[in-house]
Amino acid sequence: MTSALPVLPSGASTPGCRGCSANRTANLVQLGVSVGSWDYLVALAGNPNTGKSTVFNSLTGLRQHTGNWPGKTVSRAEGTFEHNQKKVKLVDLPGTYSLQAGSTDEEVARDFILFGEPDVTVVVVDATRLERNLNLVLQVLEITDRVVVCLNLMDEARRHGIAVDAKRLARELGVPVVAAAIRRKEGLPELLEAIERVATGAERTTPFRIRNHPPAIEATVAELVTDIEAAFPGLPNPRWVAFRLLNADERIEAAVRSGEIGVFLGDNQDQPWQPSDQGAATLDAEAVLATARSLRWRLPSDFHDRLMESIYAAAQAIASRSELRGARRAKFDLDRTLDRMLTSKWLGFPLMGLILAGVFWLTIAGANLPSAMLASVLIDQLHPLLRQFGAGIGMPWWLSGFLFDGVYLATAWVVSVMLPPMAIFFPVFTLLEDFGYLPRVAFNLDRMFQRVGAHGKQALTMCMGFGCNAAGVVATRVIDSPRERLVAIITNNFSLCNGRWPTQILIATIFLGTLAPAHLASATAAGAVVGIALLGVAFMFGVSWLLTRTVLSGEATSFSLELPPYRPPRVLQTLYTSLIDRTLIVLWRAVVFAAPAGAVIWLISNIDIGGVSIARHLISDLTPFGLLVGLNGVILLAYIVAIPANEIVIPTVLMLTVLATNAVGVGAGTGVMFELDSTQAVGDLLRAGGWTVLTAVNLMLFSLLHNPCSTTIYTIYKETGSAKWTTVATLLPLVLGFVVTFLVTQVAGLL
Amino acid sequence: MPPILVFILALTASAILFWPRTGLLARATRLRRLSERVLVEDVLKHLYDCEIRGLPGSLEELAGMLETGRGKAHRILGRALQMELVTLEQQGYALTATGRAYALRVLRTHRLLERFLADRTGMAPDRWHAEAEQREHLLSEAETEKLAHRMGHPLFDPHGDPIPTATGEMPVASGFPLSRVAPGSFVTVVHLEDEPAEVFQCLLDAGLALGQVFQIHEVTRERIAYAVDGQDRSLARALAANVTVETVSQAGASDPRVTTLDTIELGQSAAVVGISPLCHGPQRRRLLDLGVVPGTTIRAVMRSAGGSPIAYDIRGALIGLRREQAEWIRVRRDQESGAAA
Repeated sequence: MTSALPVLPSGASTPGCRGCSANRTANLVQLGVSVGSWDYLVALAGNPNTGKSTVFNSLTGLRQHTGNWPGKTVSRAEGTFEHNQKKVKLVDLPGTYSLQAGSTDEEVARDFILFGEPDVTVVVVDATRLERNLNLVLQVLEITDRVVVCLNLMDEARRHGIAVDAKRLARELGVPVVAAAIRRKEGLPELLEAIERVATGAERTTPFRIRNHPPAIEATVAELVTDIEAAFPGLPNPRWVAFRLLNADERIEAAVRSGEIGVFLGDNQDQPWQPSDQGAATLDAEAVLATARSLRWRLPSDFHDRLMESIYAAAQAIASRSELRGARRAKFDLDRTLDRMLTSKWLGFPLMGLILAGVFWLTIAGANLPSAMLASVLIDQLHPLLRQFGAGIGMPWWLSGFLFDGVYLATAWVVSVMLPPMAIFFPVFTLLEDFGYLPRVAFNLDRMFQRVGAHGKQALTMCMGFGCNAAGVVATRVIDSPRERLVAIITNNFSLCNGRWPTQILIATIFLGTLAPAHLASATAAGAVVGIALLGVAFMFGVSWLLTRTVLSGEATSFSLELPPYRPPRVLQTLYTSLIDRTLIVLWRAVVFAAPAGAVIWLISNIDIGGVSIARHLISDLTPFGLLVGLNGVILLAYIVAIPANEIVIPTVLMLTVLATNAVGVGAGTGVMFELDSTQAVGDLLRAGGWTVLTAVNLMLFSLLHNPCSTTIYTIYKETGSAKWTTVATLLPLVLGFVVTFLVTQVAGLL
Repeated sequence: MPPILVFILALTASAILFWPRTGLLARATRLRRLSERVLVEDVLKHLYDCEIRGLPGSLEELAGMLETGRGKAHRILGRALQMELVTLEQQGYALTATGRAYALRVLRTHRLLERFLADRTGMAPDRWHAEAEQREHLLSEAETEKLAHRMGHPLFDPHGDPIPTATGEMPVASGFPLSRVAPGSFVTVVHLEDEPAEVFQCLLDAGLALGQVFQIHEVTRERIAYAVDGQDRSLARALAANVTVETVSQAGASDPRVTTLDTIELGQSAAVVGISPLCHGPQRRRLLDLGVVPGTTIRAVMRSAGGSPIAYDIRGALIGLRREQAEWIRVRRDQESGAAA
């Protein structure tokens, strides 16, 4: 098969008129920013975890929307606010440690500051980590003059005994520095003022530029400066231009080529520097670019490392001159004492086991009563009331059935089962996280995870998954290495989530507990459930190992684990945010998915084809395959319609069993999910449906190993942005579930 | 047939069909990709290589390189002649000016891809070249420039080869082969030959990496002995021809106090000398972001309850690093070890 040879390209690929200020509009459009409805464009940059999103939210309030950077899977937020009758558009750049374009986040941030040419770039800095944060500030200052530094988290710094002299820092950096604690609303007005001053040009900044580069680099720069001065006599700050050219800055290259380099220099935007008319230039622009290109080759091969070294050295010097670390000493020692205890060889693991067991016990014990109460209100009381209401206003049976027996019932079930445990688990977990203990857990367990190619923090996401798998997937954001994060996401499903505990406990009690002598019945059942949960953990390790050896072996990987200082958790604030962020959002998504599920369940049970309901047809179609894997048609159908939520599996199973066996005297009507008060009654019903101990065991295994619920699938898609990995995460556990149940059935058949 | 047998047969069949890289499906896809354009580009690259080494390009050699018969090779070269990319001279085939420019562009794409694979993925070093060989034909010129822009216009590929600029410029190679080194001298690696792949792997196993600085201990007819990061190594003289080095000044190259971070005990501190060149890509950048640059003081603070990782105090932050990361950080022990920071 021949394909035509490409037309021979013309040679030099023009970087386009990128540096041309007239094309700033075109650049902005390409970067996804709509032009024209604002007066000033402000970019928000900073390291991760500096409170940047708090700054963004405080400035824009609700006038923001999120999307993606064009052509990338990096999410971005932009919003607007007004200040002194001027409209300002604020673009939130991804949190990055540097602008060296080593990752997509860094590329996006760098490109926006370079080509989007914001009127002001605000860099949010963590006052407790000044040195590390100044790294990014200095790199931003290399690119643009119009910078405002927001020295955030000053309240944290005060608590740690770190005093940062904002005025001194401003003198050192040559740009406005605003001391702030945005989450307490401190410093916001001053920040707005500083932004306005720099945007309007009322304040002209004199940004710090690094002078102490290694001799080899300085020599190269000097050579290029000579050429630049020959081509543009009188140009202010040729050294800066030289550095940009040696860094392959495309917009400066284009500006030099077109002669418009003055746009980037000169006193203000309206009067860019112009070359004098004498035409004293002894070199033309192309020659300068040629020199720059050949000089780039002469740079030492460890140029990049040397550059980072200089930047860090400068950052350290500036930080040491601007901050005072006083009471930090005492706090540091207290932290270390706590650490010694929590990570010691003898105490570390027992304490960890105790604390985690405590969390789980609190969740299970604490959620029982509220769950029962919610169920009695929503299902036992409200449901009949709704039906009465429906009958009262003369609703046709199918509408009241569809709405109340299908949609409402499923949603009510999910809420009453899901809400109480999550409302307890999440806040407790978040408190531990806030306190600073969770990274120590990851620290202690990392070795086990390293052996299977995963990250220690997967222990935390796994624990979160025991509460809710969707929340566990969201929690993987703390793992910033791409490969380890994918492993954590894909294997999170093997954590037995809250929704599946009732199924496991019920089935174990009915079928396994009865195998043991009466006084050991509940212990056996409990043991079986714990065994299943541990099996899930074992599968998690096994599948992690498999993934990192095969499918994920080419993904980027890096490891580091930061142990932040301990801090007293803010209980009320944590309760509030964990309630909003985690509990309510997951609940909302669950409702969104459960309602249609309820509708489907009711519909397939009540719509007849050929005199028999759809459900019956499906059950008989699925039975052959079901028996092959040691389950049955009812279970398979229940799992298919209950993809949205594991909580409704058992009620659906019961309802379908009644349907399939034409049992009388049981149930609440065709297509109405229900539960029975005594486990004995449930056992009788299921056995009448043909269930055996083998069925029960396979169900427990399948419940552990089947595909994630639709909420989790949706969350995985949003977190990874990749249909491919979402498919893998959905199908892998399912295939595993079928294989395991199949093998168990075959082995049982042989015995 | 019992279902379990069916299952096993199905599993085996799937493996044969779908196994990555060696499965039937993977092989078929690769064959389809070998369109004529791809072969022409490979020919151009090879002829450029011959030009550099001062050898003529013969039909037999080209056929061997393409792994095809003489007939097919002749047809490919016919196409290339038609497009005025090569000329036929007395000694063999040679590139025209347009052919050379085209070859340089393919080379540029190849080396940019290798840089990308090294810096942005976790792919093993011995696979960079092969993977780039495949992908280089799939990128258009615009896509290549976009890649260069994304990577920040890197100058060298991870083997030390210069990446031709968009206008086809490349510096003259410098350095000399390791096989010609003098005992006692200090050298740094500036280039590692990436083909054949087995030899490249041997070089990696011998502790050699781009930018690695070491001192030559002994040179015999068969082997060259040297010390890298405190460890004694040796390399066969024949393989050493694939390594290009340059001499460096003695300063800082061999300091007995220079060791790797994993040898620093709890409570001790050390000053960073550099990150080993073996550490590349996202991991290297992460360490640089954390402040592991020459001059930084690192103190080993505590060990995890599970034995690994160890928490280090780096610029005021407590960072846990595994042994494999600590082995990549070269440090110089502080004079007073165990002193409270």
